[in-house]
Amino acid sequence: MTEGSNYDYLFKVVLIGDSVLSRFTRNEFNLESKSTIGVEFATRSIDVDGKTVKAQIWDTAGQERYRAITSAYYRGAVGALLVYDIAKHATYVNVTRWLKELRDHADSNIVIMLVGNKSDLKHLRAVPTDEAKSFSTENGLSFIETSALDASNVEGAFQTILTDIYRIVSSKSLEQSNNPIDAPGPSISVGPSVDNNAAQGSKCC
Amino acid sequence: MSARPPPARPHTAIHASTYNSRADWAEDDAWDSASDNEDDAPKASSSRVPPRQVPLRPKISSSSSTLAFSYTHVSAPNPSSYPPRDIPPKNGWTIVKTGPPVDTPIDDDPERGGDADADADVEGDMILGDLEPDAMETMDIIPPLHSKPKTDQGIVRDDVDAIVDDPLAAVKHRARRTEPEPRRPSPPASPESAERSEKLMRERSIRTNRRHKFVECLSSQDVNIAELRKLAWAGIPADLRPMAWQLLLQGYLPLPTPLRTSTLARKRGEYLSLVELAFARDREGLDQQIWHQIEIDVPRTRPGVRLWMHGATQRALERILYVWAIRHPASGYVQGINDLVTPFFQVFLSAYIDSDPEAFDPGTLPARALDAVEADSFWCLSRLLDGIQDNYIFAQPGIQRSVRRMAELVARIDAPLSAHLDTQNVEFMQFAFRWMNCLLMREISVRNTIRMWDTYLAEGPDAFSQFHLYVCSAFLVKWSDKLRQMDFQGIIMFLQSLPTQDWGDHEIEMLLSEAFVLNSIWHNAQSHFSAK
Repeated sequence: MTEGSNYDYLFKVVLIGDSVLSRFTRNEFNLESKSTIGVEFATRSIDVDGKTVKAQIWDTAGQERYRAITSAYYRGAVGALLVYDIAKHATYVNVTRWLKELRDHADSNIVIMLVGNKSDLKHLRAVPTDEAKSFSTENGLSFIETSALDASNVEGAFQTILTDIYRIVSSKSLEQSNNPIDAPGPSISVGPSVDNNAAQGSKCC
Repeated sequence: MSARPPPARPHTAIHASTYNSRADWAEDDAWDSASDNEDDAPKASSSRVPPRQVPLRPKISSSSSTLAFSYTHVSAPNPSSYPPRDIPPKNGWTIVKTGPPVDTPIDDDPERGGDADADADVEGDMILGDLEPDAMETMDIIPPLHSKPKTDQGIVRDDVDAIVDDPLAAVKHRARRTEPEPRRPSPPASPESAERSEKLMRERSIRTNRRHKFVECLSSQDVNIAELRKLAWAGIPADLRPMAWQLLLQGYLPLPTPLRTSTLARKRGEYLSLVELAFARDREGLDQQIWHQIEIDVPRTRPGVRLWMHGATQRALERILYVWAIRHPASGYVQGINDLVTPFFQVFLSAYIDSDPEAFDPGTLPARALDAVEADSFWCLSRLLDGIQDNYIFAQPGIQRSVRRMAELVARIDAPLSAHLDTQNVEFMQFAFRWMNCLLMREISVRNTIRMWDTYLAEGPDAFSQFHLYVCSAFLVKWSDKLRQMDFQGIIMFLQSLPTQDWGDHEIEMLLSEAFVLNSIWHNAQSHFSAK
């Protein structure tokens, strides 16, 4: 709890899709870890520009049956990691469906990052990087590829999205305070991820 | 409330008349008639290793989890061998292990003590760190009869065939075997352990008494189910459990002795036909969505536990789950159901072996027995799930209802906790969903679950939805003091990986009796719940 209050920004982030990252949020890196039932909770803190950015991560179960339960967690989330498996094309096809879910249930200015994850060393790539990249651009998503087998790499995905969210939120609060000059780096903000009314509604809690 | 002693007799015994085994059979038959297939040919997808001779070479130097497990039962578990399942990230809160060291014997097996003591010298062998905590909680180990040739694969009993035909064979055999065996642990090393061993001896004599009643009950020509329920409520001796569970599950095993052999043979044959039908076409003929989910979940079922890492077990689990799923299209396979198979499978497997099921290589069991374990697990799982099907259909209304009622109940029995959760914006759904969906199997060990199911099965078919609600409420309130000191994040993280790793039967039985009390007070007072 002590650490709990020790942050400058608190972001709620959901993890959806072929969510093999659950073992990351659980600090488990063995190949086989139990399936996620409903939702699981984890936190991560990073430092950006000397600020402590803390994320409350809700890792949602991938199975269709849990939708009714898990979609409730989209509300109030400022970020979403939408994960697919680069070795399984079907999981990439599902991304469109997940995006729709997010558009339906999440706040409109949520920052979405598409995460191409390689869950398994045995399987070959089935989704070309370029394809996913251009899909991301079209849909205003950030994009990253990771390997859940490599902790640092997944950690990197979290770093990236939290930084993105931080940039957007902090630039927004600056806009709101009519003081754009001191913006620490608004130009870096991963622009198109907010596809409409980007100016309103700072969601940092 | 806790001042009240555990229930002496289950109040549900009066329901006995509703368990008419014949009626249940009729229903099953109706269900299965569509898939009836007289052919008893081996299942299409069977990929079993043919039975081979179990090597009985004594194993000397390498570590055996079986040995280590035995040891932990006579002595307080070494905390270092029970790492929390999910080591939580450092969040500023600490898990405090409240449970007293498990110094009460954690099972009902009168054979255990002596053997465990004999194995105490393997303490240094415990190499358990990278297994999940469940793996450390062994099922009740039945020590081998004579000398102890320990093997990597485990020990298959020599009367497997007789047990396949009639589970009573196992009971009678063991009853005969155990009676003239007043074997005592080796002399205690300290006054403390002397005291403990005296306590053990007292408890053992109580257990032996109970055991006699059990054996008598199970051996009768027409089992008195009310009597069995009464006995089972307080826990079933490990070696009698396979048979008792099958009787309690709405008479999967018929109560009258003469019907058993033929009924079991028929049900197992029926299951084989179901499997054959389901897998008649090759992989492309399977329901892809269901199969895909099962395929990813099966290797993730009890990861790290030897039994569940074996191909033979995994194939059996796949078949059980798939056949169940396609026969229940309204729910299909839902993640978490895989967990629910494991207690059945391990308990039924334990009937045929003289070693720890979790360390057992099912490939060494004669195919006939393994088929029986699989079929029995399937039917018993089906019966369990029949009572909680609306947990798994669209929008999971059963779970939603249970979680809502649990929140209402907790508000009444622990208002300060309820208020605190409220101020911290913790919703019951955020933690209790899983408690309902997996029947607490993600919160407590399989060993604990098995003990808990003794009571659930004794309570009756509603227990997995109704009684379970009270168990969950008692379970939450148990941590009340801690939770009320925590903030949102602390609460959620704590409830997500509760410190139950060293829970034994004692803790489970406390929980069950608290739930019993809650159930008696509130269950017939429905209007106290703000019905929504």
